[in-house]
Amino acid sequence: MTGTYTRRGFLGLSAAAVAASVAACTGGGTAPAPAGGGGSSAPASNNLRVFTYEDNSTIGMFKKQIAKFDAQAGTTTTVDSLPGSGAAVYPDKLRTELLGGKGPDVWRIWGGQIGAPFVKAKQAMDLAPYYQKFGWDSKINTTAIDGMTFDGVKGGAPFIALGIGCWYNKAAFKKAGISGEPKSYAEMEEANDKLVSAGITPAGLGGKYGWDIMRLFEYLLETSAGPELHDKLLTGQETWDRPEVVTAFTNFKKWQDKKWLPDGALGLDPSDVEPWYVQGKTAYTITGPWTEAQAIQAAKKDSADFGVFQLPTDQTPQRHSGFVEGYMINAKTGNPEKSAELIDFILKPETQKALKISASTVAGAEPDPKELPLSYQWSQGPAKQPFYTIQDQAFPKKVADQYFAIQSDLLQGKITPEAAAKQMQSAVSAWAKS
Amino acid sequence: MGTATLEASAVDAPGAPRRRKKYGGVNAWLFALPALAVYVVFLVYPAITSLWFSFTDWDGLSPTYNVVGLQNYLAMPKDPVVIQAVINNIIWTIVTIFFPVVIGLALAMLLNGKVRGKPVLRLIFYTPCVLPLVAIASIWGWLYNPQYGAINEFLRAIGLGSLAQPWLGQDSTALAAVMVPAVWLRVGFPMLLYLAALQGINTDMYEAATVDGATKSQQFWHITMPSLRPAHYIVIALSLIDSFKVFDLIYAMTYGGPGTATQVMGTWMYFNVFQYYQAGYGTAIAVVITVVAIAVSIPYVRSQTKEHAV
Repeated sequence: MTGTYTRRGFLGLSAAAVAASVAACTGGGTAPAPAGGGGSSAPASNNLRVFTYEDNSTIGMFKKQIAKFDAQAGTTTTVDSLPGSGAAVYPDKLRTELLGGKGPDVWRIWGGQIGAPFVKAKQAMDLAPYYQKFGWDSKINTTAIDGMTFDGVKGGAPFIALGIGCWYNKAAFKKAGISGEPKSYAEMEEANDKLVSAGITPAGLGGKYGWDIMRLFEYLLETSAGPELHDKLLTGQETWDRPEVVTAFTNFKKWQDKKWLPDGALGLDPSDVEPWYVQGKTAYTITGPWTEAQAIQAAKKDSADFGVFQLPTDQTPQRHSGFVEGYMINAKTGNPEKSAELIDFILKPETQKALKISASTVAGAEPDPKELPLSYQWSQGPAKQPFYTIQDQAFPKKVADQYFAIQSDLLQGKITPEAAAKQMQSAVSAWAKS
Repeated sequence: MGTATLEASAVDAPGAPRRRKKYGGVNAWLFALPALAVYVVFLVYPAITSLWFSFTDWDGLSPTYNVVGLQNYLAMPKDPVVIQAVINNIIWTIVTIFFPVVIGLALAMLLNGKVRGKPVLRLIFYTPCVLPLVAIASIWGWLYNPQYGAINEFLRAIGLGSLAQPWLGQDSTALAAVMVPAVWLRVGFPMLLYLAALQGINTDMYEAATVDGATKSQQFWHITMPSLRPAHYIVIALSLIDSFKVFDLIYAMTYGGPGTATQVMGTWMYFNVFQYYQAGYGTAIAVVITVVAIAVSIPYVRSQTKEHAV
């Protein structure tokens, strides 16, 4: 009897161990559900922690400014950074930290649907009192503030409003015999053909994570649908099952079929592919002004060898894709005043300049034309044009991933442009209804 | 007769000072308490909490949620990505158990013979097992790069450029491309276990079989393989559980893509819990993974315990 009991016991314990081990893979991250909402605030402290996604080219400058703030404010601020995969991973890490009860006091985040969940779940503080206290409403670009206002709650203080443009290698354009920057979509296609003929892959974009190659599709959609319709499509007010969308998907496929994108673009990592235009492996990429510091200057190249222009849409107004980034304060921080002071310090024009912010939302913080000539050029031209919400901020992540999957199927020839338009409509309408 | 039975007989024998307590007595529990406390706090409690959340619509961030009963479980069969993930999990499990076990056994047989440089070869074959998975994912990601990766470059160099593929960038090859490094890194573990088991086989049996005229093949199937049964149980049981929990390689190499082509239950659970703010649904997927892992593990655990008890 004893023997039988022991074996069963062992079997039971083994099964329980397996169950607990596997289930704990999720339990660890989700278990500490906030009970009752809010929870008690941490005790007041002069120790602050900032969570951001600065990379190697900017983290030094950021820490230097934070040290300057600490010296003024009498605080001790720790900076944690998670550079790399963009909006694909960073929000998860932040969320896990917040649920673990050891979230940062201040964190950097994108606007739109990426930042929204933190405000809606009341993990981020309503910053309205600090907008008033520090006069941020008059200092920060109004459109940018809208990008971090969710259901009327000013959940973040935007410090950057970035526009997406075409950043190119002048030598590649010259080699292909392209005399000037394309002024129409037809000229853009013509330039691509010339580049391919010269043995150069035109657009360096990677499809891993979805958001990078999406920048091409949203440009094509803006071109075929125009500003008004594009905006309505993004909010689900108009159906995607329409000719303008089919045209955009048809052109998207054309870009791949005519080898205007790298071979196997869908499986490439954006962080690998985007800098290829600096190395001369591709002619250009579609990205924001941060590329001047992070790709061109980080590679010890001269900005004069590169150029930037707004992708031509043949539409009026001529728009580009854009998004905002800002800072939020933990609703449970032990020191909201110092946290807000820190944000106010970051928002000062001199700090923004010291951080080499290439597209600041703050008046008087334009990039230095000597240090960042291309970013300055962008800030004085295209940046003054209206922009449409970049699509991975326009949609919740789940819808954005459905959208990326449709793009993937289309590029692989698994579905037609017409079917892609229909599938997009069903994905967006389901979200819009909910 | 198993150890447990022997102990029971000894306790029941006449003249024994006192009857053994059914559950080991207070002292035994006190000794077990620290380990049990860790087990309960870090495994049992989170597991039960996950189970609870699988019956809710919690978004994973908000302070409140609603209990939705079995809704999350009923939604799974209607989710096309779940269906795809289950199929991928089955393919992954079969491939990443079969090939590492077969290759590991072959290498163990090779290293068990008279081969020069055994320690170096053992180290070479086992090294992938100890490399961080993210590093492996990066290395193989570069190898697979369609334009500059070593695999396509090699194919072009030997005149097979037509076979060069965007390995990770198309549905038809992406899953297989991720399984190759999985097989590569998993070979070392069974190899070591089999090697240890092979060294424990009495060589007299092979000598006797040779004298009786048995071929090498007969010796393998009738002496080696039966002698390796305990090793087979360990290797297959652990590989099985490992395969069902697959996450990191896929996440790092393809992020579940292109589209959803390489999603498995583990990554789909992660996407729902951590990215889509559907923690209730995601934890329901985790519970299903757990149940399946238990179901497929029990026969092996039972076999192993029987083996030890006989």
